[in-house]
Amino acid sequence: MTATLDRRDPAASPAGAPTTLPGLLLQRAEQTPDRVALRAKELGRWEQFTWSRYATRVADIAAGLRRLGVGPGDTVSIHSEDRVEWLLADLAVQGLGAITVGIYPTSPPDEVEYLLSHSETKVLITEDEEQFDKAMAVWDRLPALREVVVVDPRGIASDVDPRVRTFADLEATGADAGGSLDAYRASVAALDPEQSAIIVYTSGTTGPPKGAMLSHRNLLAVAETAALAYDATPDDEVLSYLPLCHIAERLISCISALRSGYVVNFGEGGPSFGTDMHEVQPTFFLGVPRVWEKMMASIEIRISDASWLKRRTYRLATALAKPVAARRMRGEGSVLDRVRYGIAWLLVFRSLRDKLGLGRIRVALSGAAPIAPQVLEFFWTLGVPIREAYGQTENSALCTFMPADDVRLGTVGKVAPGCELRIAEDGEILTRSAGVFLGYLKNPEATAETVDAEGWLHTGDIGELDADGFLRITDRKKDIIITAGGKNISPSEIENKLKVSPFIREAVVVGDRRKYLTALIGIEFDTVGDWATRRRIPYTTYEDLSSKPEVVQLVQEIVDEVNHQLAQVETIKRYTLLPKELDPEDGELTATQKVKRAALERQFGDLIEAMYR
Amino acid sequence: MERVTDNDHAPLLEVRDVTLRFGGVQALDGVTFDVLPGELFAVIGPNGAGKTSIFNCLNGVYQPQSGVIRLRGEDVLGRKPTAIANMGIARTFQNLGLFANLDVVDNLMLGRHIRMDVGFLAGMTWLGKARRQEIENRRRVEEIIELLELEPHRHTHVGLLPYGVQKRIELGRALAMDPVLLLLDEPVAGMNLEETEDMARYILEIQQELSLAMILVEHDMHMVMDIADRVMALDFGQPLIVGTPDEVQNDPAVIEAYLGGAT
Repeated sequence: MTATLDRRDPAASPAGAPTTLPGLLLQRAEQTPDRVALRAKELGRWEQFTWSRYATRVADIAAGLRRLGVGPGDTVSIHSEDRVEWLLADLAVQGLGAITVGIYPTSPPDEVEYLLSHSETKVLITEDEEQFDKAMAVWDRLPALREVVVVDPRGIASDVDPRVRTFADLEATGADAGGSLDAYRASVAALDPEQSAIIVYTSGTTGPPKGAMLSHRNLLAVAETAALAYDATPDDEVLSYLPLCHIAERLISCISALRSGYVVNFGEGGPSFGTDMHEVQPTFFLGVPRVWEKMMASIEIRISDASWLKRRTYRLATALAKPVAARRMRGEGSVLDRVRYGIAWLLVFRSLRDKLGLGRIRVALSGAAPIAPQVLEFFWTLGVPIREAYGQTENSALCTFMPADDVRLGTVGKVAPGCELRIAEDGEILTRSAGVFLGYLKNPEATAETVDAEGWLHTGDIGELDADGFLRITDRKKDIIITAGGKNISPSEIENKLKVSPFIREAVVVGDRRKYLTALIGIEFDTVGDWATRRRIPYTTYEDLSSKPEVVQLVQEIVDEVNHQLAQVETIKRYTLLPKELDPEDGELTATQKVKRAALERQFGDLIEAMYR
Repeated sequence: MERVTDNDHAPLLEVRDVTLRFGGVQALDGVTFDVLPGELFAVIGPNGAGKTSIFNCLNGVYQPQSGVIRLRGEDVLGRKPTAIANMGIARTFQNLGLFANLDVVDNLMLGRHIRMDVGFLAGMTWLGKARRQEIENRRRVEEIIELLELEPHRHTHVGLLPYGVQKRIELGRALAMDPVLLLLDEPVAGMNLEETEDMARYILEIQQELSLAMILVEHDMHMVMDIADRVMALDFGQPLIVGTPDEVQNDPAVIEAYLGGAT
């Protein structure tokens, strides 16, 4: 019931300062026209764009969209992996006073239909044949959808439909008309900052997705908050790799990039993520826990594969650096510390970090889901200072941040500049800031449940504030397990302890209204596969590997170890290995790889029941 | 936008009454079939049925005693393997034809070699046409890298890569020749289930994106029946049937050849 307020007000900007993201873009293009704004790897080579080119292309695309009839209040959806065109289209749409909706590349056709229909999308910008086919399958049922624009038309017949055109055509028609930049400036100047700029559909773990409407003012507010929290500069480099339709990547690759002027890099994505990281060597990087866990697992595997000498050297370096990391988290550090870390760096960490693409990292963030403290400690020891952040789509992604010189593991840090934080009577975390959204599209009931009359956003998370204002999150309100014995248990804490193991990818603890806790556990195919190969255990598929007695034994040891750290009621009495890898396309994960508990408990209901027999 | 449809329904490849003997062994006996443009044509049969022999006749390694093979109306028989490769028939090998000590890009560039015609001097001095051609070829190689999702491995020595990836590079090397007909010799032999599914996906993607005709020789019946447009079943060098996967699967002669008449 403590209220914390940071007095710096990001909304108090000097008169004449841009109040929209397109306004920020135009300002960058005027002030630093020749600085590099974007880089993209095309046909194996990095191509770069300056701010002036960025703005010109956005203006041309806006002109092209205007010719298709897009105007203020209309909705344009983008269905694509991260690429330069995503940002160009987004800012073109916002500049016209229209609203951008991002669709996850992994969304199946029925979800695409739902989003396009619910948002009344007028123009769809789709990436390639794969995504195009999804839209074509449902277009008949979408009366509002007038035009489809394809970024990469390979494999699509040119005469497929008169209402289909290429992105290049759209841009060229906009450029040919001339004067597009002036027209864009005029329409940006006329924007009302209180209107919706984007709609972000939150892939809820239950029910259909809800469309959170964020205004230009919301986006500018979070831009300011992030700038104050992380001091990004035009010399920073980021890699765009998480889905841009998620607010977290939008913040890094678009909102903060426009505010701070750093370079956004688009690699080849997917399986090339490691290569992209290595080549870009970002200085500013946001990872979801899954990304950090996977990097950690890859290092552990690599070390266990290394020669005796290398393993000894690695252990020595870790022993040297660990105490340094602990002091660095408290904002302390001496010359001796620098020497100690310097030795570890020369011996091992320099090349290790370089390989991971973290050689130049200055600000490393973790967000979007809880992360285990062991993972954070591991990276701090390497000299990668990961700071957790906490926020949700509904408050434009950011409401707490970890101060660089006072890092407390197990918390998500302090209230971010410009935000307020409060714990309600029932333990729910409430936040209030200029970033709090306008509401859910066509869903006033859900909006009223989420934002109260005084403007407090009800996050649905349970947490507590300590005396120094650090926030500790217990769990999602609706995920809390109450056992048959009446004990409240937070499943995510136990799950994270299990997921620290490089061999475990997913863990779902079950036990609501039951006598004891059980877990569904999914192995990490790569690492367990490697482990099995080394022991000459033959296997074929994921299911086959999961059912090997040796693998079951391996997981048993991990579960036993975790059980030792838990109170009696929290221990996992029985568990079952999942027969398949979870997949967003099967409805088991959200597009951001979060487990959909309800769906899982339904799908694997028989496995769960078997554990209570 | 590119056109992907091809209205030309004349067969791309005609094979008529091809007969191949090694001494007393009848390897192929009166084999006749057509492959249409853009078609995925599969050849199945028990071991020793003559599947690989067909490939070896098609690309000039063996000279059949009688019969006709025509590609786009031009005679193939009697030509040397290099001349046939120049006509546009490329193949992949069951046991990989890659240079283990070169990286992926260089292996694919070697596949492009057939499309280069620069003289020794121009090549040495990297002038004019040599430069233009190298850039053009490198661009084409990048397109193949993208199609087969080989980006993470571009500069890795082929010998260091997993077998499944090497098979994909082998496919890429054949594609680099810009063939009109691609012969795939057991592209999923020795692969696990996941790698097999991936490979099937790549083959379908090649068929769709490049509308390239392919002949597939494969033991994995599930994959053949899943992806082929038409199938020819062979037994002891004789064609049993040519038809859609359904027709072939239900043909009594095929069942007999595979199951030895157990009914």
